[in-house]
Amino acid sequence: MATNFLSTGISGLLAFQRALDTTSHNIANVGTEGYSRQRTEFLTRPATLTGNGYVGNGVEIATTRRIYDDLLAGQVRTSSSTFSSMDTFATYVNRVNNLFSDTTTGLSATLQKFVNALQDVTNNPSSIASRQVLLSEAGGLTDRLKSYDAQLATFDQQVESQLKSEATEISTLASSIAQLNQEITNSQARFGQPANDLLDQRDHLIDQLSTHIDVSTVAQGDGSVNVFIGTGQALVVGATASKVTTVADAYDATRHGIGIIQPGGNTVNVTGSMSGGTLGGLLDFRSHVLDPARNALGRISVALADVMNEQHREGIDLNGALGGDFFGIGAPTVLGNTANTGGATVTASIADAGALTEANYYLEKTATGWSLKRDDTGASITLSGTGTAADPFTADGLSIVIGGTAANTGDRFLIQPTRSATAGLAVLVTDPGKIAAAAPIRTEAAAANTGSGKISAGTVVDASDPALRSTVTIQFTDATHYTVNGAGSFTYTSGSPITINGWQVEISGAPAAGDAFTIKDNSGGTGDNRNAQALVDSLNAKVLDSGTTSINDATTRLIGGIGVTARQAQASRDAQSVIKQEAVDARDSVSGVNLDEEAANMLRYQQAYQAAAQIISVANTLFDSLLAATRR
Amino acid sequence: MRISTAALHNAAILQITDRTAALVKTQNQLASGKRIVTPADDPTGAVQALGLDRALAQSQQYGRNADAAKSRLSFEEQALADTTTLLDRVRVLALQANSGALDSVGRQSIATELQTRLGELVDIANRRDGNGEYLFSGYATSTQPFALSGGGATYSGDQGVRLLQTSDNQKIADGHPGSTVFMDIPQGNGTFVTGVGAANTGSGIIDAGSVTDRSAWVPDTYTISFTSETTYDVLDSSSNVVASGTYAPDGAIAFNGIQVQLSGAPAAGDTFTVTPSGKQDIFTTISNLITTLGRPADTDADNARFVTEIGTALAQLDRTQEHISTVRAEVGGRLSVLDSAADTRADRELDLQTALGSLRDLDYADAIARLNMQLTGLQAAQQSYTKISQLSLFNYI
Repeated sequence: MATNFLSTGISGLLAFQRALDTTSHNIANVGTEGYSRQRTEFLTRPATLTGNGYVGNGVEIATTRRIYDDLLAGQVRTSSSTFSSMDTFATYVNRVNNLFSDTTTGLSATLQKFVNALQDVTNNPSSIASRQVLLSEAGGLTDRLKSYDAQLATFDQQVESQLKSEATEISTLASSIAQLNQEITNSQARFGQPANDLLDQRDHLIDQLSTHIDVSTVAQGDGSVNVFIGTGQALVVGATASKVTTVADAYDATRHGIGIIQPGGNTVNVTGSMSGGTLGGLLDFRSHVLDPARNALGRISVALADVMNEQHREGIDLNGALGGDFFGIGAPTVLGNTANTGGATVTASIADAGALTEANYYLEKTATGWSLKRDDTGASITLSGTGTAADPFTADGLSIVIGGTAANTGDRFLIQPTRSATAGLAVLVTDPGKIAAAAPIRTEAAAANTGSGKISAGTVVDASDPALRSTVTIQFTDATHYTVNGAGSFTYTSGSPITINGWQVEISGAPAAGDAFTIKDNSGGTGDNRNAQALVDSLNAKVLDSGTTSINDATTRLIGGIGVTARQAQASRDAQSVIKQEAVDARDSVSGVNLDEEAANMLRYQQAYQAAAQIISVANTLFDSLLAATRR
Repeated sequence: MRISTAALHNAAILQITDRTAALVKTQNQLASGKRIVTPADDPTGAVQALGLDRALAQSQQYGRNADAAKSRLSFEEQALADTTTLLDRVRVLALQANSGALDSVGRQSIATELQTRLGELVDIANRRDGNGEYLFSGYATSTQPFALSGGGATYSGDQGVRLLQTSDNQKIADGHPGSTVFMDIPQGNGTFVTGVGAANTGSGIIDAGSVTDRSAWVPDTYTISFTSETTYDVLDSSSNVVASGTYAPDGAIAFNGIQVQLSGAPAAGDTFTVTPSGKQDIFTTISNLITTLGRPADTDADNARFVTEIGTALAQLDRTQEHISTVRAEVGGRLSVLDSAADTRADRELDLQTALGSLRDLDYADAIARLNMQLTGLQAAQQSYTKISQLSLFNYI
């Protein structure tokens, strides 16, 4: 009899001791990341049947298990993957945003300073000092553009190196997870009890993995978990982990994507299917912010150089010579796919800056010819021309020439029209006297004219015409007809343009018979500011996007666009942070340790333990009294 | 809901971090005085501010352009004023010569002064602006525009006019080419010019004439030829007679929509010419006057010729004065346009600055109120955290 309740008391003593063990384990791990609180579960021992009913035999320990909800843990992973993707994105975008934030030395202000310096030249074209200032401001503008481009290139390199470390980190985590899978499977198979702490460790590693990339998990019957990333690429299967590495881009060997090394040793490029986590944020930033920003900046440089050069060539400098190019600019880059089998080479050049876009293009050899696709929208672009040097392909402001030997069907080329433009930007005019501020021609009405005819100052339409600066006399034979250099008879309409030798003038009013107008070389016209003014006008003109965007519009659009993206990224990140926190709270409300609860448990088990000990003491007393009774 | 101890601490710390971040942002705004520190703070506002900044910089540049134009125009105005004064003096001298009381010595001394004035006028026409550019040489601002030669001056400049941009859609010429100012002055009365035949022997004098019916005027060189002392024919350049009549002193001779008045006693065979106006430069006008003053004045015919030529010269001087006044009026007009444009620009710049201020600058009252609120919030969060974190059942065991 007495032995029965002694053993019952001992069973309670052991059970509560174990419960106190678990409680102290919980308390000790209150600060451990990824720890799930544990609970010792009791089971009533089978009762003994006596003649007068069942007599209980005390308690036994069923198991110690962790309080863990797979669903809630999954939510934490999803939300933290999205959060760290947004966080990485927002952090990088914010750096670009800060780059463009300075309004006093920023792009827009520097551009305006350059235009103002040009205006000062129009005020005083013969002054070497104001011309020198213009050259300095031009240098300042190219420096500013190039420093932005260099900064963006630095971000690109940082993304590159972070991608490398992300790949390493993911591989390390994957192999740790695989190893823990192995240990868990072994342990659970051997002892038939949940390996709580190992499970916590593994699940915490998966949590960590989810901050690097989107993960999905599938639990196996043996306690192991299979982990998939991206759109279903297996990273961990049981005790085997795949390796993630960076792989060079098929077009641009300096740029890397993400690849998975398959069991056979093949590396598969999975960059396109990677999303979420730091890795997803980096890839997103690179393709949606960094590359477009560099292209947009490049397009601004191209437009600036193109507009300036074109107009500058139509003027003459202080020495009377026609102006050359004002700015040098980087040419479009063309990169062949490493898988190309043909020997074709492709060169691209800018044909019309006004039609240029900020996109990259893929040029592909098809069975019937060549096709061009935009990188960002995937839209097909119609090519005109035949692709030879004499008749190049033209599309979206580009001129494309196919050279080398024949291409094979499927050969592809990546064309980046403006990516390298800014890096090649340079001021080609170094002598202030060589700034072409004057127009190459001037017009004169003969002093003896008796009619009221007036001639305009004239504009250049084709500076390359060899006879541009030859003297031309327009003489009226009567009120409605005139000869050119004494030849022909042309009908006169007041105000309608007369185009000869690459220039254009308008005569208006009522010239009389015998009236003469002369168009001649403007060498010596050191005070002429017409070409400088034309430079100002064309810099302010809407030259981009088929005449809807000015250079300044393009800069504010770039800066504003990055501002909007940065703001949205911050807002999304903040919102996602709340969502993530809620998911973590939900999980912690189930799995987290609460010290008050543990304190209460401790008291409860302590008291129960004391009570059980008391039973032993009572049993002892009973034995004693029994022994004392029988001793006599 | 069950709250884990770690979650309790994390939530409190997260709150405190967020509030600190907001506080730092406000502090940053207060320190910089700007509401928009980076474009992300208010992308629309930032882009607007960039546009306003640019408009402001552009407007200030237009101001500089206008100043440059104004300075050059003021130089021109001064030169034109000096020219007017000089021409006034020339006119006085011409009238003096015309008074008839002078002998050839007197005329000679006037001629000498005129010669000096002519030199002075060339100096005025060759003036430079503050940057050392010639005022009146068109585009060729480093070429001296005028040089005396023979009976007038040669012009080496061109007809270029420099335009300076003073607003988005206004360009103002900062001067006139010398050819416009000093060269292209219509002769005579603007339609025709009269002259006396060099071989005349009578004392007939012809005035400058006038146009009575512009539509009837046929430009050509006409000769009024006296067939006797009292009869004349008007011949055109092909020697066709277009009119003829009887001469009465001080009577008008009218033909082809014009009329001229002859006085004195012309001799038979005397001729007078009516030629269409060309253009005459100011230097030739004065040179001609000097030549006239140097002519012998012995006979009636000499006298008649002298009087006619002085008359022509005076008429031409009036034309020239008129012409210079027109150019001056144009310069004055441009200067006043520049002044009113400056006022408009100042108003606009003020508007732009106000807009920029309200867009980009910080509202300090608002920001300081916000700062205080955020401080209180942060303090409350910190205090409540320290209180709550002290709570533990373990304290009571």
